Amino acid sequence: MKKYQLGEFEEVVMLTVGVLYDNAYGVSIKKEIEERLSRNVSVGALQTALRRLEDKGYLKSRDGEATEERAGRPKKYFQITALGKRAMEYTKTTREELWNSIPKVALNLKFASI
Amino acid sequence: MELNPEGGTELEICFDLMDKSKNTKPPQAFLRFFRWYCHPKLRNSIEGDLTELYHERILESGKKKADLRFAIDVLLLFRRGIIKPTEGYHSLNTYAMFKSYFKIGWRNLIKQKMFSAIKIGGFSLGIAACILIGLFIWDELSYDKYYPDANRIYRVLGVYNDNGQLQKGVHFQPPFAKAMLEDYAEIEKVGRYNNVELFGAANAEIRRADQDENLYEESITYFDQDLLDIFKLPFVYGNPSLALSKANSLVMTRSKAEKYFPHENPLGKMLIINDDKEHPYSVGGVIEDFPATSHLRFDFLLTLTGKEFWQGEQTSWCCSNYPTYVMLKPGVDYKELERKMTKGVLEKYIIPMMLKEGRTDAYEMVKKAHLELQPVNEIHLYSDGVQDGLAHGDIKFVWLFASVAGFILIIACINFINLSTAKSANRAREVGLRKVVGSLRSNLVNQFLAESLLYSVLSFVIGLMLASLLLPYFNILASKSLVLPLGYWWFVPGIFGASLIVGFFAGIYPSFYLSSFRPIQVLKGNLSLGSKSSSLRSALVVFQFTISIILIVGTFIIYRQMGYIINRKLGFEKDHVIYLEGTHMLGDKKIKTFKEELLKLSMVKSVSIGDYLPVQGTKRNGNQFFVEGKSKVEKPTSGQFWRVDHDYIKTMGMKMASGRDFDVKMASDSDAVVINQEMARKLGLKEAVGARIENYRGWNVIGVVEDFNFESLKQNIGPMAMVLGISPTIISIKLSAANTQHAIASITGLWKEFAPNQPVRFSFLDQSYARMYDDVQRMGKIFTSFALFAIIVACLGLFALSAFMVEQRAREIGIRIVLGASLKNIVRLLTQNFLKLVIISFLLAAPTAWYVMSIWLQDFVYRADVTWDIFALAGVLSMMIALGTVSYQAIRAALASPVTSLRSE
Repeated sequence: MKKYQLGEFEEVVMLTVGVLYDNAYGVSIKKEIEERLSRNVSVGALQTALRRLEDKGYLKSRDGEATEERAGRPKKYFQITALGKRAMEYTKTTREELWNSIPKVALNLKFASI
Repeated sequence: MELNPEGGTELEICFDLMDKSKNTKPPQAFLRFFRWYCHPKLRNSIEGDLTELYHERILESGKKKADLRFAIDVLLLFRRGIIKPTEGYHSLNTYAMFKSYFKIGWRNLIKQKMFSAIKIGGFSLGIAACILIGLFIWDELSYDKYYPDANRIYRVLGVYNDNGQLQKGVHFQPPFAKAMLEDYAEIEKVGRYNNVELFGAANAEIRRADQDENLYEESITYFDQDLLDIFKLPFVYGNPSLALSKANSLVMTRSKAEKYFPHENPLGKMLIINDDKEHPYSVGGVIEDFPATSHLRFDFLLTLTGKEFWQGEQTSWCCSNYPTYVMLKPGVDYKELERKMTKGVLEKYIIPMMLKEGRTDAYEMVKKAHLELQPVNEIHLYSDGVQDGLAHGDIKFVWLFASVAGFILIIACINFINLSTAKSANRAREVGLRKVVGSLRSNLVNQFLAESLLYSVLSFVIGLMLASLLLPYFNILASKSLVLPLGYWWFVPGIFGASLIVGFFAGIYPSFYLSSFRPIQVLKGNLSLGSKSSSLRSALVVFQFTISIILIVGTFIIYRQMGYIINRKLGFEKDHVIYLEGTHMLGDKKIKTFKEELLKLSMVKSVSIGDYLPVQGTKRNGNQFFVEGKSKVEKPTSGQFWRVDHDYIKTMGMKMASGRDFDVKMASDSDAVVINQEMARKLGLKEAVGARIENYRGWNVIGVVEDFNFESLKQNIGPMAMVLGISPTIISIKLSAANTQHAIASITGLWKEFAPNQPVRFSFLDQSYARMYDDVQRMGKIFTSFALFAIIVACLGLFALSAFMVEQRAREIGIRIVLGASLKNIVRLLTQNFLKLVIISFLLAAPTAWYVMSIWLQDFVYRADVTWDIFALAGVLSMMIALGTVSYQAIRAALASPVTSLRSE
């Protein structure tokens, strides 16, 4: 059984929240992902992912200030929890273990065939 | 800064745009849609995100694109996790709240045991009554539904309009069926039966061909093979389409087959009917017993194939003895066919037949007649006034029962409402506190509704148990064999659903009432509860007692009518007369010796051989009478034509109005007739004695007998005539008053000597007479039970209400006692209000009961008077019951020591 469940998109969101650190809210996360990974992110997909991560306890949120551009609606800032950090680390280590376990030859061969 | 409208610096334009973008709003429809579906917790922050993005996009790529993107975003946000849950986002909470409602409800139920018992007891009594009545109605409505083609089967009715009085008959001439089948293409099949006693049907002595002992059977009929085909009765043995197609074959029911041919297949076996060894019947088939919900119920069906009761009978249009059924082809409009048939049949067959008989008024009479087709599944409930000799239900009764059930349920619900609101004082503080803590009114309504559902479900469970306990008793009352349909899948969910609905309606008023309290007043403790809704409660008590008094009056009137029936002077003496049936087995000669032997017994006063007795269930016929010589010109007088012997009038204790009885010494009496007063009146004979009348031949009238009731008291006494002759199935014996037991023993002893093979069957004339009114008696019993039900439930309510009132006024009573009020004062104080209510109920109930019961009495031509003393009795009785109920509490309160109630002051 998997200890931590983190989908690909979820992992990207987590990482981005980490990158933005103190300024991670809906719009900034969306922009950051779009910029760094050059892929389109819909508000719906992002919000659902954020909600799921919050439910799992990997993220926590707080209400921020309301600005004029937002027609007086507060921002919701996200922050990685300790559990979230462990989940990210777990994902990273498993990936690395997998990378490390690939025999050099396999990769070489693949590169050779290109 | 001065702004130039014609254009400015780039910076200025940029600011301008920014301003614009801040003021433009995203598409409102989508925004509203988003706000509607979004989970409230997320709404603000996501809306903020969307707005921020929207403004940026306006700057980036213009308003149109931004609008589009916004719309797409809103639509893509419409997904699980963002949408709010349908029942509101409290959903996690409600389960716990409901649990708490039921818990509090249960605690309340346990805390006030007496009140709860009365609430639930009254409710479940009402529900039990409703379940029983519901079963009864269901059974009544399920008659004749089981034929595969029930929707195409009709019974033919002949309706004759005699000056506004409709006479409906089902009997038709033998060739009528065939004629219809030939004349009307719409008809697929026609079938007849004939259970007229005259033809040897109805009852008979039956035995197996290989045995000697006769057994008496009562449900025998002649039956067409075609009628079998129409009804498609389920067969156990034999071929359904051939079972009656051979002459002298019969079909019997499974239970009778078990009786005569236990453990064997009776197909082809022989039965001898009425000792007729020349013409034995062979069994052509065995059918399942007719279900209790069939309007026809026979044990033996004798074939009509090849049967002629006299020469030319089957082709003659003279005599109507055959109930006739038709099966129409699919899709035929039976009303249309009815019209066609009325015209066709009358013109083609009836008028020529009547003209041939020499009746000049044929056209006149035919105008008043028409044919009707009665759907087979309406026969049971809609045959009021149809003379078919079958036992019917009546749609009126179904309505009556349904309304009684409804009233009982309403009374029970009212109790519930009354008790709930009366007890409100105890709940007021709870309501106040709940409101202070933050409960909404809707929460409180829900709470009290949940409580009421709890009570209702409990009551239904108990009511169901009560109903199954009472079912055997109810079955006797209603002469049915009902069972709780526990086997049906819908029954348990249906009952449960009903309990929820009833609980909801009973609980809706109390819950709105209880939840309306103002917390400040309640918690201050100065709200005078109970009195606030007392006018409504009084109205409810009045309603309950009105219904109860109506039922009580109804019961009294039914019993009075029954007493009237039993004690009425009928024109004959029914006491101390026994009669033996089946005596024709002796043969004409032996029966006379038997009569002589009977007369030798010391306690026998007189003996008469004759089938026509003045009680229902003995032989009847119909004849048309005229004053001699006027048969072609005058309207006929229909009347009974009885063959009796010399001792008949004496044995029955009838009185001669004028003229004389038959005399053994007068040989000319073989041409003599004795008529009743009604016959003389109808024929217009002032001096009847000495006149001559005719039916198929002429007779000398030698005497007129005083009118006697030979039919039910629901009917007028009809014309009748008696001539000498032998009708040997019944021997009536008038006994001297003393020692009937001994007389019966000697008579049976004598019978055994004469007919060793056949068991004796004897009845008492007075008992047979009383049996004619079984339905009245049953109705009386049913009304008694329902009146009892209603009064018990109403009293339970009154009892609890008075208990509540005493509790409310405990301090007042205490003070009164201290100041010197006597027991009488206190009791009067507490009871007079309730008595007033009962008096009001009585004033409402008396006219209603009078009206309803006089409609019922209209069924009887001879009826008891409805006098004021019935109402007085019912009024006093209900008053006493109410007084008894209330004064228990009142006396208890008056006897209580004032210290207990005043201590806390």
